[in-house]
Amino acid sequence: MRKIDKKQADAYFRTRTTLVTIYLLIGFSASFGVVMFAEELSGFSVNGMPFHYFMGAQGAVLTFIILLFVNAIVNDRIDKKFGLDQDLEDKK
Amino acid sequence: MDSQFLVSLVLILATFGLYIGIAVYNMARQTSDFYVAGRNVPAVFNGMAIGADWMSAASFIGMAGTVMLLGYDGLAYIMGWTGGYLLLTFLLAPQLRKSGRYTVPEFIGDRYSSSTARLIAAVATIIISFTYSIGQLSGSGVVIGRLLEVPTAVGTIIGVVLIAFYSALGGMKGITWTQVAQYLVLIIAYLIPVIFMSLQLTSNPIPWLSYGQIIGELQQLDQQLGVSEYVVPFTEATKWQFLALMFTLMAGTAGLPHVIVRFYTVSTMKAARWSGAWALLFIGLLYLSAPAYAAFSRFILMTQVAGSSIADLPAWTTSWVNTGSLSVADTNGDGILQWEEIVISNDIVVMATPEIANLGVFVVGLMAAGAMAAALSTAGGLMIAISAALSQDIYYRSINPKATESQRLLVGRSSIIIATVAAGIVALNPPGAITQIVAWAFALASGTFFPALILGVWWRRANGPGVIAGMLVGLTVTLTYIFAAKFGGFTILGIIDTGAGVFGATAAILTIIIVSLATKPPSKETQEEVLDLRYPEGMTYKDGEVWRTDPVETKRPEH
Repeated sequence: MRKIDKKQADAYFRTRTTLVTIYLLIGFSASFGVVMFAEELSGFSVNGMPFHYFMGAQGAVLTFIILLFVNAIVNDRIDKKFGLDQDLEDKK
Repeated sequence: MDSQFLVSLVLILATFGLYIGIAVYNMARQTSDFYVAGRNVPAVFNGMAIGADWMSAASFIGMAGTVMLLGYDGLAYIMGWTGGYLLLTFLLAPQLRKSGRYTVPEFIGDRYSSSTARLIAAVATIIISFTYSIGQLSGSGVVIGRLLEVPTAVGTIIGVVLIAFYSALGGMKGITWTQVAQYLVLIIAYLIPVIFMSLQLTSNPIPWLSYGQIIGELQQLDQQLGVSEYVVPFTEATKWQFLALMFTLMAGTAGLPHVIVRFYTVSTMKAARWSGAWALLFIGLLYLSAPAYAAFSRFILMTQVAGSSIADLPAWTTSWVNTGSLSVADTNGDGILQWEEIVISNDIVVMATPEIANLGVFVVGLMAAGAMAAALSTAGGLMIAISAALSQDIYYRSINPKATESQRLLVGRSSIIIATVAAGIVALNPPGAITQIVAWAFALASGTFFPALILGVWWRRANGPGVIAGMLVGLTVTLTYIFAAKFGGFTILGIIDTGAGVFGATAAILTIIIVSLATKPPSKETQEEVLDLRYPEGMTYKDGEVWRTDPVETKRPEH
């Protein structure tokens, strides 16, 4: 065990927290945001259904799935940047 | 005994044999430590196991029907139940994984240094899992009742016996790979009929792309009939109810003990993130298909059933009328069945589809096997959560800390059987439709666990007195609101019982913050442990400094 610069560790935490905040904002806009304005957003169609219905039935779920995979991939890169990926390989 | 009965029975028995075989095979290799079962499972398969654990009989049997009956308003379930995985994977799972605890009550008890908090969490686990399992048992009653053409109550009793036997036998061991098999069975069973229905109605084999067209036709049919239109929002309840329900389902998902436990079984925080992503992809396959089922079924009911002569209804309707799930009374006595005269239970939309689309005995049987897989895998996970709370968190840590391994196993096994039978008795006369019962479990989880876990992970100042008061207030507010709204006619902004979690969660979060700030801060060790959750596994927080740790040192202690 060796000491490392706390600033570096906190940089990791800050990057993660910022990203997660952004992901959650996108996810909530796609769900809560669209529901809030469902009547206003029903004027045009996507995939054959009014936009508000499309978002509820397909759009929001697809957004969530993409966000989770983006999170997993981006976080692997961050781990690599901070030199943490080696540990994970060793542990397998 | 017709050929349908035989084919369904053979398929169900074959899948049962497969699950028991997998459980026995994996049990044999893991006699020493049943907690590591999932640790070597690749994230993709863990995602499948989470999916099967998660997708209940309610999702499989009831959700498409709910979306069909409620129109746009039913989509709160689709978004809520998938959105919960955002909260779980972003805010809780990796951190809980790093904490290295094995059950949710254990994390809460250790994080808040409070046996009382652990006991409350254990009791809440039992209440929530119990409520949730009622939905599984009445769900399997619908399947077995339909299959054997007996009343749903008899089907429920058969389901209780099967699930009690299965969970007590499989125990905690080997359940991961059983759930992987159950996921595959249930998703194949779910997708085949909707693909064929899409082909028959639109000549397009991809239901996700084709049902938009059917929705357009439904809008025209609704306008001709003058009924409230399918896609128009907030026809069944207010916008606030929609938002409150969606929040309750999301927060409840992130707080459900039997779901979180699956994230404890992965090896690393990285694996927790990937498991969450794969899980939502596999879950999404079913949830994206449910609205397609809903649109196709409503279209068939409106065009092929409504408007026909009452003496000349399609053959598939008869058996569903017999089980009491479909009512086609010609109330105005004109000999023609009108759309308004059809009363359909949300439980039959998916199960009737193979017969409606005339897909033959094999697909009907596969559907039954898929529904049973959904009910069994979730019930198994729930019964294990109940039994872990009873045998580990209550019996072992509070009543008898000197209990031997075999005493604890005995308590665990017998609690599974007692819990299943008790849930089955309630399920004989369930107080509402399946989806609604499950929604109550979510309201309870979002009013108790969600605030305790979120603040426990993200706010180091939260302390024992705060969380005890918070969980009790959350539980009281949620239960009071459910009963006041359901039986007393009391509502705020049109929010009914299923949206009660929004009040429970708010009350609990406020209580935890206020009481924590009014009482002594947690010990330095506890606060450091919470700060440590900020950093990845290779870093450890200690005495205001961060240490880079070797893989060997970060290996978590075995219990």
